[in-house]
Amino acid sequence: MFKRYKPFLRASAMDLAVYRFNLIIWLLVTVLQMVCMVFLWFSVYRSSAGGINTIINGFNYKEMIVYTVFTTIFTFVTFNNETLWLIYSDIRKGTIGNYLIKPISYRGKFIAGAIGGYLIMTLMFGLPLFAISYTVFGLIGFITIPTWYDLVFHILLFLVAQFLAVLLNDTITYIFGLFCFYTSSGWGLNSLRATLTSFFSGTLLPLAFFPPVFKDIVNWMPFAGLSQNPILILLLKYDYLSCLKVLGLSIAWIIVLELLAKLIFHNGIKKVTVQGG
Amino acid sequence: MNYIKLYFTCIKRSMISRLEYKKDTFVALFSFLFSNLCALLSIFFILQTIPALEGYSLWEVGFFYGFSMIPISLDHLFSDEFWLVAYRRVKEGDMDMYFLRPVPVMFQVFAETFQPEGFGEMILGTALIVACSFNITFSVSVGTIIMIVVASVFGAMIITSLKIIFSSFAFIFKDSGPLLQIIYNFTNYAKYPLKIYPKFLRLILIFILPFGLFISLPVDTLINGTYNPCWISLAIIGGSIAFFFLAVLIWSICIKKYESTGS
Repeated sequence: MFKRYKPFLRASAMDLAVYRFNLIIWLLVTVLQMVCMVFLWFSVYRSSAGGINTIINGFNYKEMIVYTVFTTIFTFVTFNNETLWLIYSDIRKGTIGNYLIKPISYRGKFIAGAIGGYLIMTLMFGLPLFAISYTVFGLIGFITIPTWYDLVFHILLFLVAQFLAVLLNDTITYIFGLFCFYTSSGWGLNSLRATLTSFFSGTLLPLAFFPPVFKDIVNWMPFAGLSQNPILILLLKYDYLSCLKVLGLSIAWIIVLELLAKLIFHNGIKKVTVQGG
Repeated sequence: MNYIKLYFTCIKRSMISRLEYKKDTFVALFSFLFSNLCALLSIFFILQTIPALEGYSLWEVGFFYGFSMIPISLDHLFSDEFWLVAYRRVKEGDMDMYFLRPVPVMFQVFAETFQPEGFGEMILGTALIVACSFNITFSVSVGTIIMIVVASVFGAMIITSLKIIFSSFAFIFKDSGPLLQIIYNFTNYAKYPLKIYPKFLRLILIFILPFGLFISLPVDTLINGTYNPCWISLAIIGGSIAFFFLAVLIWSICIKKYESTGS
């Protein structure tokens, strides 16, 4: 079963490794965006009524800076997902027909690709960047290093959460990709997906800043598992029970969305128009 | 005169090809509005927790954000094609067709696309400016009004010039898209008052990538009367002319390095 999809995993990993120079420039783009946010947060805490050491919505300024840096690294490693563009290009070029007659699942191919991409991105960027920034933040006192077993357990839970985030992100991207069957184009869909994902996942700002009822709704949506929850697990903001709760929620959403995707695929495949092929 | 006619003919053709994907255009428009709404909501949620950001009220920060969209939208309307030059056209060898026609290449790139999405940005920016204006006391004079118009139009020219400069590097490096993206993303910095940044970053945003010069400084002058509007206007006009000439110069040097892909 796994063997059949291994080439897709390898191909996607090698693809990213080959274009690592481009990725480094993209990292720079992302970092610049992050620097802007960091200055904004400093300003916000400096301007708050209680001075820079105020706690706003459960975060002090040190935690907020760490949160911003970590979500940036996290999304850089996990959001690198080509699924929508691959579906779009399959429709545009007509190659989707080739996949329909092969004895592999169209969905399975993308899951393998997403995992391959995640593994290589973690090796090239995730591990070194997290290790360096965690150490630096620890040294300058932005992170209080917990007892070793707490640290180890939370890192393990974080890794599980990160893996689930990759699967969840790929499922969401896949569903948006399937909508290309109906629109025959992908630009609009992709930017809608990117916006939804970055806003509701807590990448722009932690969901704790959202107004009361809205916050609760968003916390139950699938997006929080994409970046906020894994990072809060790593920062020890959740006790073990809450960790299990958010992981369970992600798993539940993956199952629900996969079923939904199946439904959309079966309906959409009858509608797909290949323009010229 | 001929060029104006030619421009409109080209634009008409580009609009027709866009209409081929009606549903996607609709989704794109919706997602554009939605993404701006999300960005504004984020700022709103953040600023709600504090009395004022470095002395700027919520409405004043909103005004900065709204005004930043005006020059950005003007640039967006006319020069969207340069993104494709930077990312794809040179790498894939599509530029060949421009060299075969008896019209300057840069003109053809401008005439390739007219991006109506820019209007969305302009409308949203204006709406935001108007909404925030009710809650701000301005120091309005003829000078400041002229300054705001100058900042919008000549500011757009500076953005376009920077776009030309960094997309023309594609002629040498084949793909200058990410580089252009880095430069362009500095426009995000100009959506907030310059006061929130450390000194070196302020200097960069005024003198090197002058998004602050035509967004933050004029708005600051309009709200707080910080600077002399005449000097700001002159600086923006001077800067935009300098950047435009630099852009034409760099473009014409780099374009000589263009190599076709041979496919």
